Formats: sequence, C-alpha cells, structure tokens
Amino acid sequence: MTPEIQPGIVQVTEDKPKSGLEPGYRVICWNDPVNYMDYVTHVFQVVFGWARQKAEFHMLQVHEQGKSVLARESMEKAEHYVHQLQRYTLHATMERDE
Amino acid sequence: MKLVRATRTRLLFHLGRQETRLLPQILKLYPRVPPAHHVLSQSGRIPDREANQRLLDEALAEQRAENRQLVQALLADPRRFARTETGSRLSLPPVEVEWLLQVLNDIRVGSWIALGSPEVKLSALNEHTAPDFYAMEMAGYFQAQLLEAVQGEK
Repeated sequence: MTPEIQPGIVQVTEDKPKSGLEPGYRVICWNDPVNYMDYVTHVFQVVFGWARQKAEFHMLQVHEQGKSVLARESMEKAEHYVHQLQRYTLHATMERDE
Repeated sequence: MKLVRATRTRLLFHLGRQETRLLPQILKLYPRVPPAHHVLSQSGRIPDREANQRLLDEALAEQRAENRQLVQALLADPRRFARTETGSRLSLPPVEVEWLLQVLNDIRVGSWIALGSPEVKLSALNEHTAPDFYAMEMAGYFQAQLLEAVQGEK
C-alpha cells in the first residue's frame, strides 16, 4: 500500500548558515566621544536617505545607549552601509543577527 | 567661515583672514586616521572575515588617495580659493562639501586618536599634545561651519 501524500506545512528546522543574500546582518553605529552629534545626524541622512527626525532618533540612541542598530540587511548591503559610514569616520560595524 | 550664497550647483563661503590661513594648514594634515582603526565587524562573526576586512581596507585606502588629490587640487586652484581684501572666497559644489566634511572629520578623529582617544576633554595641554588638540579643534570648527551651511540649505 502506498502511503497517502497530503498537502501540509513543512517545518524546516535545519540550522543552516545565513547566506550573503538573506537579511541577517545588523549595521550598528557605536558611540564615541569625538564625533559631533550634528555630524552623525547628517551622515545618517546622507547614507540612508532618512529624514532629519529619524536620523536624529538614531543619533540620540547612539549617544544615550552607546549604540544603535541602523539597519538589518543582507551581508552585501550591510557591508555597503558600513563602508559608507566608515568613509565618514563613524564607528560602525556589521554584526550577525542572532 | 560664512555661507555667502547658495545655488543648486554651488555654495560660496567667505573666509576671514585667519580662516584663510588656517584652513589650508589643517587640510594639509589629511589623512590622519590610521588605517588599522577601521574594523568591519566587532564580533568578527561574519563569513570570510579576513577577505571582507581587506576589501574595506582597500576601499578606504582608495578613498584616502582620492581625497588627498582633491585636497591638493582645491588648495592649488586660485579660482576656488579666491583672495579678497578681507580674506578669501571658497566655492564648492555640494558633492565637494561632502568630501570636505569627510576630510575634516578624518583630521578631527585622527588627531583625537593621536591624543590617546581621551573620553573627556583634556584638562591640560603640553608641547606634545597641543598640536593634535589644536588640529582636532580647528578641523571641528570648519566642520561645524560646513554643517551649518548644509543644514540651512536642507
């Protein structure tokens, strides 16, 4: 007897490594005592195309909490943003989302 | 350093006599941030960490070389840095305001690193720390003027 095949939800629990294409990397800006707050806000506006209010929110998060997660992206995009932020000498890194 | 006129293609700044003397001196310090300062990932838990770090190092090295050339060209061009009776006039397209901000911040952050990355403002200066402190503050001064102009335009 052939077992009956029914449609259903397949749960994949395999813990596979994140590929470079799927969102799984955080772009983080860390606080430092040297960069001006206005400068950080300006850089966020230029790099991410954000409105001033959103850029200021993240700048204040960096200033008050020591860091801010600016984006969750694929590895390539996260890397691109970190390159852009470091061109402006901000303390930015990419970290795997865990 | 004051914004005199802004159009879609140019920002025209007036620099006083002291500013006219100081800005080239400060810009000539570029680059100041040591290449090893730039780290792609703090935890290091990313695929091909070394190769990706190398890519960042190469991209920033290329940018430093390009910015250095742009600084030299800016300082050498009399049409861009035109002397007046009260100082000078500096004409910049918006895209150059961006790289000038990057250059000035590199000088500011690099000078801060040279001072030992202090968490608080230095209370006393000596013959060793004064030049770096001065460069950090002066770069910050010009940076603040540029930012004010850019934000006013937005």
